Amino acid sequence: MNGHLPAALSAQITTFVIRLRTRHGFLVGPGEAGDALRAAGMVDVLSKRQLRDALRAVLIAQPEQGRIFDHEFNTFFRAEGSPPPPELPPLLPETEAPGAEQETETSPKKQQEGEGQAPAPAPPGPGEEPELTTVKAQPQGESKEDADDSGGDFQTVETRLSPNAGAGGEVRSEDGDLRELLRAASALIRAVELGRSRRLKPLARGPKLDARRTLRAAARTAGDPALLRWLGRPRRSPRFLLVLDGSRSMGRDAGLLLRFAQALSLRTRRVEVYAFSTGLTRLTPHLRRALPGQPLTLPDLGEAWGGGTRIGENLLQLARQERERVNRDTLVLILSDGLDTGEPEVLERALRDLKARAGRVIWLSPLAALPGYQPVQRAIKAALPHLDALLPAGSMEDLQRLGRRLQQRN
Amino acid sequence: MTSAADLMDPAALQAAFRAQGYVAGDALATALRLVPALQKPLLLEGPAGVGKTEAAKTLALSLGTRLIRLQCYEGLDAQAALYEWNYARQLLYLRSAEIGGGRVDDDELYGERFLMARPLLQAIQQEVAPVLLIDEIDRADDAFEAFLLELLAEWQITVPELGTIPARTRPHTILTSNRSRELSDALRRRCLYHWVEYPTARQELEIVQARLPGIDAALARQVTDAVHALRALPLGKPPGVAETLDWAAALLCLHRDHLDAESIEATLGAVLKLREDQLLAAPTLRGVAGRGVAGRAEAG
Repeated sequence: MNGHLPAALSAQITTFVIRLRTRHGFLVGPGEAGDALRAAGMVDVLSKRQLRDALRAVLIAQPEQGRIFDHEFNTFFRAEGSPPPPELPPLLPETEAPGAEQETETSPKKQQEGEGQAPAPAPPGPGEEPELTTVKAQPQGESKEDADDSGGDFQTVETRLSPNAGAGGEVRSEDGDLRELLRAASALIRAVELGRSRRLKPLARGPKLDARRTLRAAARTAGDPALLRWLGRPRRSPRFLLVLDGSRSMGRDAGLLLRFAQALSLRTRRVEVYAFSTGLTRLTPHLRRALPGQPLTLPDLGEAWGGGTRIGENLLQLARQERERVNRDTLVLILSDGLDTGEPEVLERALRDLKARAGRVIWLSPLAALPGYQPVQRAIKAALPHLDALLPAGSMEDLQRLGRRLQQRN
Repeated sequence: MTSAADLMDPAALQAAFRAQGYVAGDALATALRLVPALQKPLLLEGPAGVGKTEAAKTLALSLGTRLIRLQCYEGLDAQAALYEWNYARQLLYLRSAEIGGGRVDDDELYGERFLMARPLLQAIQQEVAPVLLIDEIDRADDAFEAFLLELLAEWQITVPELGTIPARTRPHTILTSNRSRELSDALRRRCLYHWVEYPTARQELEIVQARLPGIDAALARQVTDAVHALRALPLGKPPGVAETLDWAAALLCLHRDHLDAESIEATLGAVLKLREDQLLAAPTLRGVAGRGVAGRAEAG
C-alpha cells in the first residue's frame, strides 16, 4: 500500500526513524521503519496530524517517549519556510548502547518539583500539540545553572588529576577474614526470603498432580496411572546486584566491601558485581576467577577505582545495562558513602528505574555506622524515598548483622 | 456488520465506535486502525479505568467479530493460556487400547482430538479473525511474556508433541497494561503502542451522554466537571471514566438531577474508593456542591 507514498516522503520517514534511534535511543530498526512506511501508506499523508498519530503508534514504546516523538516530528516535518522550532538536544551520545530508550527527558515528577521552568503534564497526551521548550529535555546533569555546572566540572577535573584516579592495580585482601565474610554472605542469602514462585514446576513431591507427566508414565503401564508425578511451587532464589563505590572517600571501607562481594559470589552464582567512581566497571568475571584466600588482584580499573564519585550517572548506566536482567527476584545492594559530586536528580531517576524492576533496593553506607549519623548528604537524601533500607556497613560486625537487619525489615 | 476494510478511515472507525457508545480520540482511532492494517498487536497503557479493555471490546463489536479474552495473572502458564491435553480422555484411550488389544499409537495419543485449545490457540484457529484481548499483561510474569513472543511475532504456537500450529487468520490483538511492572523491550518492540490518557472534560461529557442517553445535560456536565476537579487532586486512586459513569448512573438511579452536598454524600462511594481520598476531596466536593446549588437557583 505504500506504493502511494511519494519517494521523497518515504526517504524522509526513513531518515526520521534513524534520527529517533541515534539521537534519542528509540529501539527502532529497519522493521519499524518498514512498519512506519506501511502505516504512512494507510493514512492521509497530507494531514500532518494523521501522519503523526500513525507514526507515533508505530515508533514509540513507552509513554515517556511520546513527548520527544512529538517534538522531533514537528521539527522534522515542519512546513517549508516556517522557522525551525528550538532544537532538542540529543538525549544520548551517538554511541549509546541499545536498550537505552528509557533515557528520556527529566521525569514529570522532577519537573514539578524542579525550578518550575517547564510545567509538564504527566504522560504525553495523545494529539496534544507539543509545546516543548528545550529546557525540559536537557540531558541529564546539564540542566542546572552555570555556576553549579562549572563547580561540578571542576570536581571532575580535580578527581581525574588526582594521583589515585585511574591507578587501579591491586586491591589486597587482609588475610583471615574470609571465613567471617563467608558467614556474613550466607546469612544474607538466607535472610532474603522471596517466598515461592507462583509458577508450577515438576518436583519429586509436590501439592499438585502433574497430569501431563503422569499420563506419559501411564502410557508405559498400559494406561494405568501407577506412577504419579507431581508439580509444586519452587522457592524463588534471590539474585544479587552489587554496586560498589570505589571512590577515594570510601577509603578502607571499599576494600572490605569488595571482599564481601567476593565472599558473596563464592556463596552463590547469582551475583553481579560492579564498581564505580567516575566510571563503571563490571567486576563479576574478576571475582569469579579470584582464588579464595589469595589476595584479590583486579586489573586496571581505570575510572572505576580511586577517583571521584558520580553515583547518579553510573547507576543510571547500570540500570540501563542490566535492564533485562533485573527482575523481582533481584536484590540491588548499593555500597557507597553517598558523598557524590553529581546531580542528585540523576541519582533519583536511576534509583526509580531500578526500584521499578528490582525486588528490593538497599543502600549500605559506611557512614551510617557512625554514631549520630543523619542521612543528610544530598545524594542520600535524594535516594532515600526509593530505597527499601539504608543500613550501616562500616565493619565486619555490620556485615554479619546485615542478614538479620534485613529480616527485621520484612 | 463491518469488515476491517470498512474501518480504514479513522473517521469511520470513530463513528463505528461512537455507535457502540465509545468515544475514541483521533490518536487512539489511528492506532486501532493500524492493528488490522499492519497486522501487529497494539499495546495500550494508561491509568486504570480509562477504557483500555473497553476499546478492545468495542473493536470486536464494530468489526462484528468474536472477542477472545485472556486475563493475565502471576503464574499464568502455557496450560492455561495456550493449550492443554485432555488427560481424562487420553487415559480412557489408553485403557481402551489396552482392553482391545490394539497398539497405542503415540501420534494418536497426542493428536488434535485430545488437544484442548485455550484462548491463545483458539484465537489463531478462527475462520474470521477475532479480536484477541490480552488483558493486564503486566500482572503476568516475565516467563509468560516470553511465551507470548512467538505468538505475537510469528503468529504460530508450538506444541512439543504435535509440532507448530500456524495461524489460520491473524487475530486483531490488543494488550493492556497498567504499568504495575515494566514490560520487556522484546515485547514492546513487537507491538504498536498507544498511551490512553484520561479524556478531556468535553470528551468525557460525550462519553457520559453516549453511555447514559437518559441523563440530564446539566447533571452530566456537573459530574464530569467534578470528576475533573477530583483528578487534579493528589488522590491515591484517581477516578477513571468507569467511575464517572458509575457515579452518573448512581445519581440517575436515585433520581437526582443535580449535585448537592446530600447527593454527593450518598453516592461518593461510586467515585472515590479510598477513605483517605474521600477525606482529601471533601473541600473540593463542597465547592462543587455549592456551585451545583447556585447553578440550579439561577436556572430556576
